[in-house]
Amino acid sequence: MKRALTEARLLLIGIPVAIWTLLPIYHLFLFSISTKDEAFSGRLWPEHPTLRNFSIVFHQEHYFLNHFWEQLWNSLVIAVAVGFLTLFIAASAAFAISRLKTRGGRAILNCALLTYFIPAAFLAVPMYKAMGTYGLLNHQSALILAMVTIAAPYAIWVLKQASDKLPYELDEAAKIDGASPLQLFRLVYLPLMAPSLVAVGTYALLLAWNEYLYAFLLLSKDTNITLPVALGHFLSADDSPWELLMTTGLIYALPPAAIYYTFKRYMVSGLTSGAVKS
Amino acid sequence: MASVSFQNIEKTFGTTKVIHGISFDIQDGEFMVLVGPSGCGKSTLLRMLAGLEEISGGTIAIDGRAVNDVDSKDRDIAMVFQSYALYPHMTVRDNMGFSLKLRKVNPAVITERVTKAAKILNLDPYLERYPRELSGGQRQRVAMGRAIVRDPKVFLFDEPLSNLDAKLRVQMRSEIKALHQRLKTTTVYVTHDQIEAMTMADRIVVMHDGRVEQIGEPLELYDKPDNLFVAQFIGSPAMNVVNGSLRRANGHAYVECGRVNWPIPPGPGADGQAVALGVRPEHLALAGAGRESVPGEIIVVEPTGAETELLVQVGDAQITLVTTGRPNVNPGEKVGVAIDPGAAHLFDAKSGQRLATA
Repeated sequence: MKRALTEARLLLIGIPVAIWTLLPIYHLFLFSISTKDEAFSGRLWPEHPTLRNFSIVFHQEHYFLNHFWEQLWNSLVIAVAVGFLTLFIAASAAFAISRLKTRGGRAILNCALLTYFIPAAFLAVPMYKAMGTYGLLNHQSALILAMVTIAAPYAIWVLKQASDKLPYELDEAAKIDGASPLQLFRLVYLPLMAPSLVAVGTYALLLAWNEYLYAFLLLSKDTNITLPVALGHFLSADDSPWELLMTTGLIYALPPAAIYYTFKRYMVSGLTSGAVKS
Repeated sequence: MASVSFQNIEKTFGTTKVIHGISFDIQDGEFMVLVGPSGCGKSTLLRMLAGLEEISGGTIAIDGRAVNDVDSKDRDIAMVFQSYALYPHMTVRDNMGFSLKLRKVNPAVITERVTKAAKILNLDPYLERYPRELSGGQRQRVAMGRAIVRDPKVFLFDEPLSNLDAKLRVQMRSEIKALHQRLKTTTVYVTHDQIEAMTMADRIVVMHDGRVEQIGEPLELYDKPDNLFVAQFIGSPAMNVVNGSLRRANGHAYVECGRVNWPIPPGPGADGQAVALGVRPEHLALAGAGRESVPGEIIVVEPTGAETELLVQVGDAQITLVTTGRPNVNPGEKVGVAIDPGAAHLFDAKSGQRLATA
């Protein structure tokens, strides 16, 4: 009886939360299969569902969507670059701090985490200024570097915690076997850290994929910007094609969903393996 | 030739000195066991030999060459860890061949050496398995195989049997000993188990609090312990020790402990000296008639099948007695306890040093 009551209470909370979460996504989907007139009709399902919107988006047939594929490609390139670069920096740093136990390692870790005290939004304008000084404005590397800066501290922290769980005798055995630190990193450390690396890489990739503010500030040319920024331009007109906006949004949400699904096994284990110290 | 030499080795962690001036030599081909209680510094000494710890003072030499500043991989040693330390993401074959792969040795040579080592250790059926698919004993053998493949000058073992169950430990003990007899490589073996030390060693170094208590062959340590610590550490069950005063009168000698007088043969030591008398349980017997003995009362009878352990109250002390017969005694019975001739050890009560083995 008590169990049933607990179940009922959880369902009472769970069902509204589920509806609350899924409703906007359903709305998104609804808009993307509706025509322009039917979009705001308030019905649960359009009278004449259509795939025409998708066709318009894919064929770049609207003014705001003129560079859809190029912008999607930009998003992809930047996200993948951020993922790999963050992974490289974080793995190397975590290895040095956790396995090589370099002096000042903890200090660097703490300094990195300190950067999170200031919200990323506050740092946007100084970042703009910095990139301007380097002459990188409107260049993709500006956004890549900015996103790596934001993603790296957390990535280092997670990987360092996960590294601490590897028994230290492995390093000693490898050392006696004759491994240099670089060989240790390549042949022993990276293979054993694979789940955490996947989780952290995915995190960084998706962070960059979904980024709006920095992309908006640092990139301006139509052919350089990422898709979220391009979608933002939709809102500048009086008569925005909402259904196209939603369609593009839905398309843009598919790769992250696919990535999460593919790596879902690693996501929880990879991120939590560093969470609890055993 | 692969001798090992420790000269005035000292080790400090921060401000704490853990090893105080240790010196001894290991001959080529010798199986040397470092034994002692937890925290005595034996593992630290081994790790300094391996190059995993910095040497704070003194010199370690392998084959006459000082290796203080030499990298682990250039010392020509191989180590077997307590926790095996096998690479989880590599097969047994890759684990064993890893060190050769790092040195870019010819793959054919690697295969040959790995196969040979696997044969010695009966690992042939497991070469393609991963460590997680092996039992504890098999993993330990893989760890040994990894060491053998390197064909080093010195084998280092850091409490390799501590993680195994009792039965497996006994089996692995003889396997390691047989391996040493076959390969004749100089071996340094660290353990806290004195039985392992006694059964496997050519010579034993007994360590305590960062110092060497005694070095010698197993039976030498058993028969002639230099001090109380070694006397009570070697041998199981532990040696009985009673404190009292030495008395010499009219050619007789005995140790007075409270109301009990333990008879001992004449020997060194001054009358009235505070001494500790040590007798091993296996050198005590229930006295028959006419034998010089001390009175005692049986507290516990513990038969193990082959032997019987008796806990006897003699005066204020509780004495352990081990006998191979099956004595028909019960708790509460009054018995006489006799010392086998030549089996009493006298130590100075203050310094713990041996006075005489009588």
